[in-house]
Amino acid sequence: MPKVCRSVQRRGTDFWRVWLVLLGSAGWVQGAGVDFEREVAPILVRHCLECHSGADASGRLNLGTRDGAWQGGESGKALVPGDAGASLLFQRVHAGEMPPKRQGKPQPLPSAETAILKTWVEEGADWPADRRLDLFEFTTDRRGGRDWWSLQPVRRPEIPGVKRTEWVKTPVDAFVLEKLEAAGWEPGPEADRRTLIRRVAYDLTGLPPTFEQVEAFVGDRSPDAYERVVDRLLASPQFGERWARHWLDVVRYAETCGYERDQVKPQVWKYRDWVIRAFQEDKPYDRFVLEQLAGDEIAGADEASWVATGFLRLGTWNDEPNDPEEYKYERLEDLVHATSTAFLGMTVKCARCHDHKFDPITQMDYHRMAAGFWAGYIQPGQGVLGGPDPKKLTFDVLAWTDVSREPQPLRFLKKGDPQRPGDPVEPGHLSMIPALNRPLPPPPADARTSERRRHLAEWIVDPANPLTARVWVNRIWLHHVGQGLVRSPDNFGFTGDLPTHPELLDWLADELVRGGWRSKPLHKQIVMSATYRQASVHPKQGTYRNRDAGNRLLWRADRRRLDSDALRDSLLWVAGNLDLTRIGGPSFSPVIGADALEGLSMKDQAWKASPPEEQGRRAIYSFTKRSLLPPFATVFDFPDTTLPCGQRDVSVVAPQALALMNNAFVHEQSAGLTRRVAAAARDEVERIQLAWRLALGRSPTPTEMARAREHLARETARVLERQRKEPVGDLRPPDMHALASLCHVLLNTNEFIYVD
Amino acid sequence: MSTNDPGRRFPCGQTRREFVWDMGVGFAGIALSSLMAGDGWLGRRAMASGPVAEVAGGPLTPRPPHRATPVRSVIFLTMNGGPSQVDTFDYKPALAKYAGQPLPDGKKFINSGGRKVGFLTPAFRPFRPGGQSGLMISDYFPKVREHADKLAVIRSCHTDSHAHGSALVAMNTGKTFIGRPSLGSWAVYGLGSENQNLPGYVVILDKRGGPISGQPNWSSGFMSSAYQGTLFRPTGDPILDLRGPSRVRPETQRDQLDLLAQLNDEHLRARPGGQELAARINSYELAYRMQSATPEAVDLSRETATTLEAYGVGHQPTDEFGRNCLVARRLVERGVRFVQLYSGGGHLEETWDAHAGIESNHGRHAAEVDQPIAALLTDLEQRGLLSGTLVIWGGEFGRMPFSEGRGEPGRNHNPYGFSMWLAGGGVRGGMAYGETDEFGFEAVIDKVHLHDLHATILELCGLDHEALTYFHQGRNERLTDVYGRVIREVIAG
Repeated sequence: MPKVCRSVQRRGTDFWRVWLVLLGSAGWVQGAGVDFEREVAPILVRHCLECHSGADASGRLNLGTRDGAWQGGESGKALVPGDAGASLLFQRVHAGEMPPKRQGKPQPLPSAETAILKTWVEEGADWPADRRLDLFEFTTDRRGGRDWWSLQPVRRPEIPGVKRTEWVKTPVDAFVLEKLEAAGWEPGPEADRRTLIRRVAYDLTGLPPTFEQVEAFVGDRSPDAYERVVDRLLASPQFGERWARHWLDVVRYAETCGYERDQVKPQVWKYRDWVIRAFQEDKPYDRFVLEQLAGDEIAGADEASWVATGFLRLGTWNDEPNDPEEYKYERLEDLVHATSTAFLGMTVKCARCHDHKFDPITQMDYHRMAAGFWAGYIQPGQGVLGGPDPKKLTFDVLAWTDVSREPQPLRFLKKGDPQRPGDPVEPGHLSMIPALNRPLPPPPADARTSERRRHLAEWIVDPANPLTARVWVNRIWLHHVGQGLVRSPDNFGFTGDLPTHPELLDWLADELVRGGWRSKPLHKQIVMSATYRQASVHPKQGTYRNRDAGNRLLWRADRRRLDSDALRDSLLWVAGNLDLTRIGGPSFSPVIGADALEGLSMKDQAWKASPPEEQGRRAIYSFTKRSLLPPFATVFDFPDTTLPCGQRDVSVVAPQALALMNNAFVHEQSAGLTRRVAAAARDEVERIQLAWRLALGRSPTPTEMARAREHLARETARVLERQRKEPVGDLRPPDMHALASLCHVLLNTNEFIYVD
Repeated sequence: MSTNDPGRRFPCGQTRREFVWDMGVGFAGIALSSLMAGDGWLGRRAMASGPVAEVAGGPLTPRPPHRATPVRSVIFLTMNGGPSQVDTFDYKPALAKYAGQPLPDGKKFINSGGRKVGFLTPAFRPFRPGGQSGLMISDYFPKVREHADKLAVIRSCHTDSHAHGSALVAMNTGKTFIGRPSLGSWAVYGLGSENQNLPGYVVILDKRGGPISGQPNWSSGFMSSAYQGTLFRPTGDPILDLRGPSRVRPETQRDQLDLLAQLNDEHLRARPGGQELAARINSYELAYRMQSATPEAVDLSRETATTLEAYGVGHQPTDEFGRNCLVARRLVERGVRFVQLYSGGGHLEETWDAHAGIESNHGRHAAEVDQPIAALLTDLEQRGLLSGTLVIWGGEFGRMPFSEGRGEPGRNHNPYGFSMWLAGGGVRGGMAYGETDEFGFEAVIDKVHLHDLHATILELCGLDHEALTYFHQGRNERLTDVYGRVIREVIAG
């Protein structure tokens, strides 16, 4: 399928300006002799090679090699050594005709660069014979090169010196404070203890603390009170469930194939449980990667590592594609995209049909990575639901493996077009990291698989791969702080965001690797920091917000809305209906109202809710059917399950209010809360107090107490009146109706759904 | 004007949200713009730079199009299952001549579902000219034929899949893979909606069931879920969660909302500058208004007997689709941006999937929709709404000109050539565009791929399909990907 990307990128890149400065300091007017390598090559790469290089160079002028440049193109001699006036290259640049206009705007070279070209040509257009220029060498204002920041080795920075040393609780803080002090700003005050324990409980477990836990923490004056809370939460089983959920978003986890038949992927939940266990046990991240990509190939493979390869089975799968021969290439793209997004934060899929427009990823790189998946069950008619038949594997699980040791070769597709196959592709790695660009050894004679995925995984977790650790620590940071240090967590390339704190990112990445790729110490580093413990309101926010509305300097904590999972779990929790004992196992089907089932093409056999005793399990155990995501989840921005999602959307729309006001599930939970309150409290004041404590983890203020009493009085009177007039229907005592009404309001408050 | 990338970079590396906050559109801005949006007042004014400022009034705040257009709303009449072009809008007299012969060998096709391949079979009902234009339309659509001069029939459509699941998704999203935003989502993303008390993108399904592949057909894909289609039931409570349990009386709910507002206000006072908190406070008032606005939109009791009669409401087999068409008109009247009605639901003969027999299947489904569609066109015209409403008719693919076996009355799927028509706002009526071969098998002249159709629909809505982009995972995504050609010939003026 030929494609031509015309997606034009407009990027006012600071990075580019930095480059110009570096260039300026490179000393181009040092008198005698222009230096090709230092002065000319960057100009050619930056301004000319996008069109004038390679086999199909524009105007047949290849400026990537000396021979090409000296030979010239269709229009004639590009370079006449010693005579700039006769050299077309200089002429066209000098006249402002090259580089060509972009969107109607001229793109003239800076006069200093034109001058360099002139001098260079006049001095003989020196070009070392074996020096080939390559479009991906340098970052330009249009694209990232191999010098792009995220591709440079992770370097452990010195922990910066700061003035307010007393504020620093973990090294994280020194990095943050350094930038605040440079701006002349002050960090925010520490959040109060109630806020803090609620925040850290949600971040680590996806659940609020109980009132008793809050009170105990507020009253605990020992110096390690907070640390003990953190340690308890990190060790709780709910930690694994919560952080697994974030990962399931990244790997586009769902339990059906999508499309017409939307078949269930049998036992895919074992993958979900494997992820939960991995986070719970703090499986080293390198191992975490290895098992998901090559759990069938690695030393020590066992049932669990086979289950982990379920990662490669999570995509959508169409059993009736229009053209099965083309469809296998779509599947390859999905696998390349999921893998490169999840572990590398790079959009390798964009290089399927042509070299990447913005990052130093060649079309051959795409194919080399894809070759790893080509060896699997990718051909039409192979296996079951797009993967190996579990009955033929060592373990009866949903897994991935290669068909054979020596698969038929994947051919390079010109312009990505299956009708235009080129040469067989040598499996290999992405060339953007030259230090790790090595050929793959052939599999040993007795190997059962091609071992390409194992090599891919080993390349990903090689400590010299600069992306892997950075991408992972950024994901951890993101879910604690609300924004990543790189705010495009799935895109560390040119079109992504630059890191707000590059040194901190590298320090965390280095800590991860040094610490044996264990994540929990990193979680602890972050949540123990003063940065994390800041309040969400800053005394100087009026000023600071005008200058840094996005909180890029981290001068306060970002307030966050509960995501759909935390919201559902919290509602069950306050109602006393959440069952934390059932960890893992096959998913339950949540109750979905008949109204919402109308979108299914096969209504009768479409959806059968699990029995009530299953409904109290955490949201992560809710069955995810691609053609029917529960509306209560999607309205609160549960992500689409077809593509990786490193950060969920947060919308505020009226249908969310309708859901919380009216949805039967929410009413069940407010009824549960009502029962809990009524069972334990004797009089009205106690009831109100308890309702506040259970729902919001604190006691009501006097104003709130007064308003609540007013509400109870009014609703009691209304119900009395109604029951007097029509003594039918719901004849619970009027004060219980009123209490239910109050409890329902509490579950709708901003305080309930936002975490400061 | 370009509507690049609202989720991305703004001056000084801010996000969209930050940028809006910075512009001083804080709490008051949100509340005010949402409240005013119904009047198209502040909304339009605040939107000078397109979706950049969308957060100011919520994602549905109206935004000006790229180009001036009369079109304010779209009604997409989706004939789920794939109506047969040679039996409806693509007149192929030559089929009579070839009847009983096989399709010539040179014509290659995928035999969807591996069904029997029969012989060329002429239309099951005769064609007749309609209107001044004399556009040929078959007797399956006699009433629509009376509107022939309003229709631009595109006879050269082709698509990328022969399977319902993929083809429906492609008709709705441009791609055969699930996961991309649908046409309605793109329209609302680009233009917002005129009425903040109703969803911007409404989908009404056939009672027999939803389309194959379900939700992905009206999904907003990688965009915010605020742009996804909202399923609407044409009677009673049209949308989910519109009403709580019956024990919660309206007056109690009002009390609850008042108490909620008090508690939220106090919470906000301790958190100055909490714009997201303020936005959420406002969303409750909006939700409260939706509770009355949405049932009102489907309440047909105010419609005259003449109108109901015209749509075939209260009569079979037109009652259901007649209601849906009437509701569509009411929604458009109230400023809803994009309404999609499905005819046919579930599987096989419950849809236009006429394997068993064209006459039995299309006879049934066309009878359900012909009168309501004609009434809709008349009604829109009489109310002066037709010039502002783009009406689209068609299915996910067409059907083969040959039967499923000798003398068999059914036809198999055909993605190579099929017909769709446009009418109303901005459309040049009384014309046919493009041609299939003499068998009606494949588009051969002025071929129109789905991407071209989508580009044309967006163009009619005033949106440049190349400029309407959404930045996602390293790429400026478009409805038409890197394709799409606007078919100028079907655009009036």
